[in-house]
Parts: sequence; C-alpha cells; structure tokens
Amino acid sequence: MSAHNEQALHTEHAEHAEYIYLTPMPVRIWHWINALGIVTLCVTGLQIRFPEYVNIFGTYKAAIRLHNTAGITVSIFYAIWFAYYLIVKGNLFKLYVPNTYDIKMGIFRQVLFYFYHFFKGGPSPHHATPDDKFNPMQKVAYMGLMLVLMPLVILTGILILNVAPLREMIMLLGGLKILVSAHFLIACCFCAFLFVHIYLATMGHTMLAHFKPMWDGWEEVKHH
Amino acid sequence: MTTLRSATLVLSILLVFPMVALAAAATEDGCIGCHGDKNISGKSGSHLFIDPAQYKKTSHSVIGCTSCHESLTSNHPNDGIRPSRATCKECHSPIHQEYAASLHANNAACADCHNPHTVKPPAMTSARDMNAMCAKCHETAKMVNVHAKWLPQADLHIDALPCITCHTGSQNYVITMYIEKRLGTKEHSDFKVAGFDELTQLVPGDKDVKSLIDTNGDNFISLAELRSFNRNSKHDDMRLWGMMTPEKVTHSYQILDNRWDCTFCHASGPRAMQTSFVAFPEKGGTYTRVAVEKGAVLDVLYGTPDFYMMGSTRSTALSIVGGLIVLGGMGFAGVHGTLRFLTRNNRKEH
Repeated sequence: MSAHNEQALHTEHAEHAEYIYLTPMPVRIWHWINALGIVTLCVTGLQIRFPEYVNIFGTYKAAIRLHNTAGITVSIFYAIWFAYYLIVKGNLFKLYVPNTYDIKMGIFRQVLFYFYHFFKGGPSPHHATPDDKFNPMQKVAYMGLMLVLMPLVILTGILILNVAPLREMIMLLGGLKILVSAHFLIACCFCAFLFVHIYLATMGHTMLAHFKPMWDGWEEVKHH
Repeated sequence: MTTLRSATLVLSILLVFPMVALAAAATEDGCIGCHGDKNISGKSGSHLFIDPAQYKKTSHSVIGCTSCHESLTSNHPNDGIRPSRATCKECHSPIHQEYAASLHANNAACADCHNPHTVKPPAMTSARDMNAMCAKCHETAKMVNVHAKWLPQADLHIDALPCITCHTGSQNYVITMYIEKRLGTKEHSDFKVAGFDELTQLVPGDKDVKSLIDTNGDNFISLAELRSFNRNSKHDDMRLWGMMTPEKVTHSYQILDNRWDCTFCHASGPRAMQTSFVAFPEKGGTYTRVAVEKGAVLDVLYGTPDFYMMGSTRSTALSIVGGLIVLGGMGFAGVHGTLRFLTRNNRKEH
C-alpha cells in the first residue's frame, strides 16, 4: 500500500460503502481492446482452421485479414502494456510473479477457497489492492498467460504471417508445422481462459461487482 | 462415314509414322552433329546450339528436324538459305486458336515461352521453371506487389505455386507427389527428388519401388497407405512433396471466378483437388504415375515440417486436443457454476 495518492480511497455518503481505485484508465482501455481483439482472434481463427465447417465472415480472406489486424493490434497493445507495468508503474513482477508466500501457502489456500470454502460460504483469503491486485492463483494464471503464452503466441503469429521472408528462422524453430501447432494450442488456451475469466469475474459479492472496476476503475470494498 | 474417315486416318498414321520416324532418325544425327556442338554458338549465335540430351527427351525429337524446318536442303548450311521456322499451329492448332484469343497473343509467340528443343510434359516441369518463363515479361517483384493488393502473403504464393495454377481455364487440378530424400544427414539439410537407385536400395529383393508406398501391390495408393508411409519413422529422411497443376493445359490465361475464393484451395480436400498421383522414378530417369484414392490428400502430407497449408493440412489429433482445452475452460465454468448455484444458501449471510 505504498502509493497512497493512487489508492485514492473515498467514501460514498449515501451507502457508506468504501471504494477503491483499482484499475487506472490506461489499463482499462488496454483490457477492453485486448478483450475485443482476443475474441475476434478466436472466432476468426476458428474459421481459418475449419473453413469447410465455419464461415462467419463471408470469405476466408476476410477472416484472414481480420485475424491479422486483430493480431497486430493485440501485439502492439501487449508491448504497451508490458512497458507500462515494467517502466511506468515498475511493478510488473510484483503484481504478476508469485512471491514465496504465494508458492508456499497462498496458491494452496486460494485453490482450497475456490473449490471448497467458497461452497461452504467462507470468505476469500485475498483482498485486492492496487499494489496487490491478484490473488496467488490469479498471479500464476496471469503470469503464464501474459508473460509466457502471450509472447509465444505473438512470436509464432508474426512468423506465420511472414513465411517467405522469415523462412530460415521458421526452419530453425522446427518448421512451419510446429509453429502453427503451437500457435493453435496456445490460442485454445486463451479461448479456454476467456470462459474461466468471465466466469470468475462473476464471483464478486454481486455478479457484476468485479466488472465495474474494469469499466470505471472503482471497486467497492466489502468489509466482513 | 465418320468411322471410315477415322479408320483411314489411323491407317495413314500407322503407315506414315514409321517412315517419318525413320527419316527423322536419319537426318537428326546429321543436324545434331553440328548443332549439338557448343562451339556453334560462337560462330552464329547461341540459338543455334541444341543440347542433344535435352532434345532427345522432347516429343519433337520423334518427328525430326525437317518436319519443322521444312526449307532445309541437303546443302545446308552452304546453300545460303536461312532454314524456315516451325509454324506451331500446323500440329497444335487448337492451342493456337485458344492462344490467339488471349491477351498474350500480341505480346509473345509460342517460342518465347516454349523452347521447342527442350519442351517437357507439364508433370516433368517444376513450378520454378514455369514461373521463370512468366518472369521474363512479368517481373517477379512487381507481380508480388500487384498480388499483395488483395492476396495475403503474395510472396509466399508466388514462390510456391506456378502462375498457371490460378491463371488457367482448367476447372480442376492434379496433385503429383514425389518422394524426396534429404541430401545430408543433418536435420535441416535440403531435400531433393529421390532417384531410382536411391529408392531401389530401400525395398527388399526384387520388389518394385512402388511397394514403398503401395504396400499391398494393387497399383493404387489408398490414403491409408500414403499416411502410413509418412508416419513410418524409417522414412524420416524422406518426404512426399506435391506439385499442383491444372488438370487441363490451357493457353487462355483467364482467371475463373471461383479462384478468387481462398477456400478453393484452403480447405480439407477441396472439390477441385481430388485427382492425385505419386510419381515413382524409373530406371531410365523417367517416371511412372500411380493413382491415389480421392480425398484430402494434402491433409496426409501433414508430416512434412515446412509445408503447411492454412485450412487444409491440419492435424485431427491436434484439433481434438485444442477442442478439449477449450472444453476444459467451459467445463470449469459449468461445473463450478452448478455447484455455486446448489450451495447458494451457504453464502446468504455474507
């Protein structure tokens, strides 16, 4: 809780509820562009892989063009996101890499909560603050997605998009087949994550509680 | 009447052909004696040199020099007469008619693309050779730019496909596959088309090279046989390499409407690509083709590491794994959500 100016706790008089400024505007803009981009990539990707069964965008070329545009957009915004957290905020690793407590205890406690205590009506062992936004399970998931799978899917995508000029590098990495397979499987992981992500976002104290801070930045703090 | 005319024609051909062939053989040695010598180029121009080895493989060598160069006399070259050139349409009349109606007719004569002394059947010509002909007028870099306006990865398409794959009046395509062998022992060394001797060493005893793929020896290759050849780890240093050419050779250079649709090619076993063969090398350097079962042939070529055709050569196993990953995500939400609904009363006090 070091950055008090950004934490900006305030109180709404009518309901006496405390709000916390959890998601700064640049992050929210990035999130929604990313969301639109990834959904577009999943749907166009489906048509690109199974053209005889899926035709959502009229022509194959339209699906390819849209996929490429969305892919480049998501890649550029990923680079901006990475630079923002690493350089501007300087807390990329603090937010996304699990610490010793998380590894020893936190992940286990969080899993236990989601799969057991939650059903019994117990409270979550983690409360989000701007400097500690993610619970240990989220940290592991986001680290894998944002620091491992995202760079890989972008790299394979860039290579597949430029087969003729980058053929030497493609062969060095095991050939086009390996790259396309990796790209497809990672994309499936992102698609699976979308379902889990949206579902888990409904697990606030109300169904929409976690959606609000991603829209206007402010999350209501519930005291138990 | 027609039958009678046909019979007369056949009879005439049967009688005349051996005579033509004999005459051809008689004069050819004389011509090639001088024109097969590279030094002839120095005297009067490189076009006078005719590579004997290449010429012998052409179908033109059967009819002989004088069939086309009609004005040749026995005193050539001392008679001072410049030998007449062939008018291709005498034999290739339908092609000539079709070509005359095309945009190319005013810009290139037959010999500008086809050297009559080195012509090969389409199945024996590589895509690169074919495109080199087009590039004489249509500069490759310029063509890449023109196509890039609408075609994704235009450079890759132009590099991998003969121009006539799209610029043709042929409705369907033929895929001809060759067995290629790795040149060196290194993992990334280049492949080249395997010759008869190389493949003979791989088959036991007196078995035919065809048995490498056609394991049941019925002179027909099923998709299962093709797949098992590709999957056999003994064949790690080999691969099947395919070439797609129009089923019918046309000289109209038109672009049929359905060629603008990427799924014409980019789909699993598209309708226009149902005819395929595997070409096996024979002793004399020629090839013999064995028909392959209709179906998604390119999907079977999935084993090749640097060949992937978007939408076509996908692996079913990988699609299933990917599907399961996505279902896993959906399943988590579904199962957890159900349990959450059933236990909702436990959380009411909060």
